[in-house]
Amino acid sequence: MSVQRSDVEDFLYREARLLDTARFEEWLDLFTDDALYWVPAGKDDIDPSRHVSIIHDDKAAMATRIKRLRSGFAFSQDPASRVHRLISNVEVTGPEEGSSIFEVNCMILLVELARKRQTVHTARCEFTLDRSTTTWRIRRKKVNLLRNGEVLESTPFLI
Amino acid sequence: MQDVGSLIRNDSVHRSIYTDQHIFDMEMDLIFNKTWVFLAHACEIAEEGDYKTTYIGRHPIIVTRLADGTVTALINRCRHRGPIVCQHEYGNSKHFRCPYHSWTYDNSGNLIGVPMPQGYGKSFDRTQLGLTRVPRVAEYQGFIFGCMTEFGPTLQEHLGGITKFLDAYVAVSPTGKIDLFEGTQKCGYNGNWKYQLENGVDPYHVGALHLSAVTPEAMEIYRQGRGSVVAMDGHGVTDHTDWGPMPVDASLSGGFNLVIFPNLIVLRSQIRTVRPIAVDRTEIYTNAVRLQNVAEDVNLRRMRDQEFEFGAAGTFFTDDLEIFERTQEGLQSGAVDWVVFARGLDREEMRNGYMTGSMSDETQHRGMYQNWKRMMTGVTSPALAAE
Repeated sequence: MSVQRSDVEDFLYREARLLDTARFEEWLDLFTDDALYWVPAGKDDIDPSRHVSIIHDDKAAMATRIKRLRSGFAFSQDPASRVHRLISNVEVTGPEEGSSIFEVNCMILLVELARKRQTVHTARCEFTLDRSTTTWRIRRKKVNLLRNGEVLESTPFLI
Repeated sequence: MQDVGSLIRNDSVHRSIYTDQHIFDMEMDLIFNKTWVFLAHACEIAEEGDYKTTYIGRHPIIVTRLADGTVTALINRCRHRGPIVCQHEYGNSKHFRCPYHSWTYDNSGNLIGVPMPQGYGKSFDRTQLGLTRVPRVAEYQGFIFGCMTEFGPTLQEHLGGITKFLDAYVAVSPTGKIDLFEGTQKCGYNGNWKYQLENGVDPYHVGALHLSAVTPEAMEIYRQGRGSVVAMDGHGVTDHTDWGPMPVDASLSGGFNLVIFPNLIVLRSQIRTVRPIAVDRTEIYTNAVRLQNVAEDVNLRRMRDQEFEFGAAGTFFTDDLEIFERTQEGLQSGAVDWVVFARGLDREEMRNGYMTGSMSDETQHRGMYQNWKRMMTGVTSPALAAE
């Protein structure tokens, strides 16, 4: 059975809302245990074993990142960034017959307000989703920032 | 304008060194135009014709490897009307052509092509119109530096005691040579460049600012205060080698941090290049260091840890960038002019020829600011100052 784009959009909106409203633990629960959360540096298509990334987290690293944000001592997030995410251009590929795994591409417009400064990012996002359980899970989230090769201001929030 | 030398006291520095645009202009002239400035690591321009673009102060620079294997550095500015002649970060080319009027230079800087040269008349001498060469380029353990003055201390003299730390840094690699991973972490902050130099050798802040990021094991070591800080020939060293040698896995468990004045920081699995843009604007370029002939998972761990802690989204570095911006804001106030660097003044001592303090002291900062003062008042090196 094919995946309806409107269902995918609902899922992406939910993921965005969890981040925008700092529900980081619920956000983490969306990911499978073997998940990858990846923001390449320099350009979109790099080999992350040979080239540095901005973020290249397994689930344990994601959990550590969230624990830090919750510690009360993450000074770069005091006060926390306010973030709005707008999602569009959603394209769904798969799943293939007999598979629960499918790919989603979308564009994201991410606006952060912090330190009296509004920073605008756009990114082409790639998700690998698994629908084998009743709640869809994210196996891979890759965020290809338009400015991934440029000098970035401090980016302490979850992208 | 008060005498610039009076801005540095032994226990404090005047806030204007961080906030005064005129001081910044002087720094570009009296520091970045005079001393050795880090340009590239040899592995970034490994092959003949490879180049990297970077900066010495305000000068855009091309560093390139020539056919004979030597490295040259050229001011990236067409001698005709002035555009940069190379706009890529890295590449390989035997020549650089300015697209504006097609003036063309070979990669050692010679002007080899000018369209319609007859229009310039007899006095036109293309041998005088090559890309300006950085007068001196030298390399130590793969670290390539350029110097805008023809005379003065050699690179080795400039590095002084730092050479033995660079020797130890590359010796962690089984071949004695290090490489860099591909790609660069690029971050910027609205603050003065010297905050980053202070912060690169500042164990005192780790247990405070980085409370949310540092592991309990490393925190325990910091709280014990083992190790020392050293004012070394104008550069700064925090020496943790009595916790252990520079670890192959680059964990926060031993080794040392180096701040090589004025623009290079070497620590754990990274080299950081500091680029001053304006009195209140700085860019930081960080590269992850790869060892030769170690297991691939060891190298991967080095890079993953460096990304997690020190990239634009790093768990350590975002708090550093934050505090640099808060400092710039706070120092706008002239209610108090002096910024305190007095820790350890009563307990530091000469050891092996260098003023040495305990782990959380500010001896290394005092040394860097004495070096800053010497340069800004016209004495170009600690060696010369001592004579």
